[in-house]
Amino acid sequence: MTEEQKKYMRFGVARRIEHLILILSFSTLALTGLIQKYALSDISLWLVSALGGITTVRIIHRVAATIFALEGAYHVIHLGYILYVQRKEASMIPTLKDATDALQFFLHNLGFRKEAPKMPRYNFTEKLEYLAMVWGFIAMGLTGFMLWNPIATTRILPGVVIPAAKAAHGLEAVLAVLAILLWHFYNVHIKHWNWAMICGTLTRKQMEEEHAEELEKMEQGNTWEEIDAKLYKKRMSIYMPFSIVASIALVAAVIYFITFEDTAITTIQPVHAEVEIYVPRTPTPFPTATPLPTMDPALANTWSSGIDAIFQKECSLCHGKNGGLSVKSYEQLLAGGDTGMVLIPGDPQASLLLSVAAPGNGHPGQFTADELARVFEWIRDGAKK
Amino acid sequence: MSRSFSLAKFIKTGSLLLAFMLTALILLFVNSIPVYAVTPAQLGGPSNAECLACHAQANEPILLPSGEPLFLRVDIPLFGNSVHGRNGVTCVTCHSDITGFPHPEVVATNLHDYRIGFIGVCAACHAEQVNATEDSIHGRLLGEGNPYAPSCADCHDPHTQPFVDEVNKAEFAQVCGQCHNGIYEQYAQSVHGKALIEENNEDVPGCIDCHGVHSISDPTTAEFRNSSIYLCADCHTDKEKMAKYGLSTNVLSSYVSDFHGTTVTLFEKTEPGQKTNTAVCYDCHGIHDILSVNDPERGLAIKENMLMACQKCHPDASANFPSSWLSHYMPDKDRFPLVYYVDLFYKILIPTVLGGMAIFILSDIFRRVRTSRQKPVLENVDHDESEQE
Repeated sequence: MTEEQKKYMRFGVARRIEHLILILSFSTLALTGLIQKYALSDISLWLVSALGGITTVRIIHRVAATIFALEGAYHVIHLGYILYVQRKEASMIPTLKDATDALQFFLHNLGFRKEAPKMPRYNFTEKLEYLAMVWGFIAMGLTGFMLWNPIATTRILPGVVIPAAKAAHGLEAVLAVLAILLWHFYNVHIKHWNWAMICGTLTRKQMEEEHAEELEKMEQGNTWEEIDAKLYKKRMSIYMPFSIVASIALVAAVIYFITFEDTAITTIQPVHAEVEIYVPRTPTPFPTATPLPTMDPALANTWSSGIDAIFQKECSLCHGKNGGLSVKSYEQLLAGGDTGMVLIPGDPQASLLLSVAAPGNGHPGQFTADELARVFEWIRDGAKK
Repeated sequence: MSRSFSLAKFIKTGSLLLAFMLTALILLFVNSIPVYAVTPAQLGGPSNAECLACHAQANEPILLPSGEPLFLRVDIPLFGNSVHGRNGVTCVTCHSDITGFPHPEVVATNLHDYRIGFIGVCAACHAEQVNATEDSIHGRLLGEGNPYAPSCADCHDPHTQPFVDEVNKAEFAQVCGQCHNGIYEQYAQSVHGKALIEENNEDVPGCIDCHGVHSISDPTTAEFRNSSIYLCADCHTDKEKMAKYGLSTNVLSSYVSDFHGTTVTLFEKTEPGQKTNTAVCYDCHGIHDILSVNDPERGLAIKENMLMACQKCHPDASANFPSSWLSHYMPDKDRFPLVYYVDLFYKILIPTVLGGMAIFILSDIFRRVRTSRQKPVLENVDHDESEQE
């Protein structure tokens, strides 16, 4: 193997899996988040439909957020192992050299400097991205908590924090997504394809360009040394219990975080609960029927004390002004109609109306048997007014 | 003398007749945009005068087996002024089963069934309205045999129904109030109802502006709930109308840009048949009992009232919670400065960060293009040199 073809190991399998989890959760969060931020664009509407509606989109977003948070917790615990047990250099901490590297690289790009700066294990482009990720993780976590648990938040903070958190959460997401698309994609995929997070290695040419300082150290043999077993065991005896407690605490915190409150009721009350729908008014479009007066048999045998009511009830519907015969008054009834007299006082047998209006005679208005008997008696007794 | 007198009388009668015919002709043309689809046909049979001879004074109703009175009286002036009277619809056009006396027996056992029996009669001329009603909530309940569901004549007394154009909004509301009096009373106390009933202000919505006329839909469905925001927005985004009362027209846009509005709009557009628990206009403002936001009892401009409105859906909400809703305002420097400055911060940060990255990337591209063009060989030489070092 020539020097040119030599591969330099950069990330172990655990790191690569972490990165894969990050890709999946971040992309899911970005997709399901941005379609909520720009909800009314056609693409968003299409995607919301395709994903099964906004309720499902929110569930997916929260599941991805949970995975993202757990990945963050794992990363912190693992960082403890690297820094405490392995005592490796905290190679992501930004230094003054990163600033000068950036400036020198920029000048080199423009042609004002012949030599490119020799950069460490993590150069300024990577530190920028990593620290932006840490910042984003904290910012999105905090604002996400507020949006997920607005009631708990407003118990402590003023209400306006919620819309402010919403604005920050959305805009921070836009920044993160655009930065990934621009900075990460250019540096890792476009200017040359970087296999470090897939195969774990970089080529010598890439090492020279991006991590010349680390490469020099490697070649001088000045790399991290294995610690002896005794020391390792001693450090692990402190790290292990600590990391177990911290893991449990962090996972518990995430679970606590995502199940903190029931923000709203899930089913709304029927809208019409306040009043009954069907509440009719008393219908009075026409004058109602006047009740028949209660008869006193002794008095009932005159027109004005009950007989008029019988005629009113049974006949007046037709026999008014225009009916060929009027039963509206005593005088009109006695005067008769188009066919002459209808009743002859004292002679019920000869009175036409009794035969015409008898029950079962087919005339539209008919006396009941009881009414017929009373009218019969009234005529027999002289049809008194 | 007597001859000239009768001639004068003849001319007088003739001119009256002519005047009447002309008036009838004019009326025929003036009112030639009728609601009905089919010209009512005079089928022969008894004339209106024959019917009214009895029915004009038939003060006594007949009692149906259910005990309900069926009124038989037709008020001549009211009928004459009704849309049917003015259009010369005869009694037997609708009561086509009546050809003389005695009349066929009424078979309906109650008023509801009696009126249902006439739906087909109405449909002969008003097919469009009858079809629309059949698909409505009233039509559906009628189909289910609901004894309270109205048929045509419950809202439109065919003997007195005025021209629709001559009925004002308040009178329409009265018609609905006949059966929905509970809601009518609530409405009458609302900011809309007061304006309509007390001031006859027709800018405000009456019943039919939101619910429609014949095609009244079931207001308890998800579809109705999800699209209800546009019922309110129709007027409340109308600049001209709102300017009269000094009301804001950004109520819809501010709502839609907030969590509730975004959710409801998404439901409305992507799954209109699904109910959402997020608030629509009427969940906070009320339905028929909408009051001014400045009302001391329930107006939402008062924070305590707003909290109560929030707690309907967010039972655990505390005093600070309501102010997480921006009350239909867009955040600016004076109102909600925190939101405004967060927004401003990112509006500066995003272009700064991305701009810086872009400049650096452009410089990198510049170097790569330059070196690959000018000295493709030299670069390799450089490498060789460095390796030799």
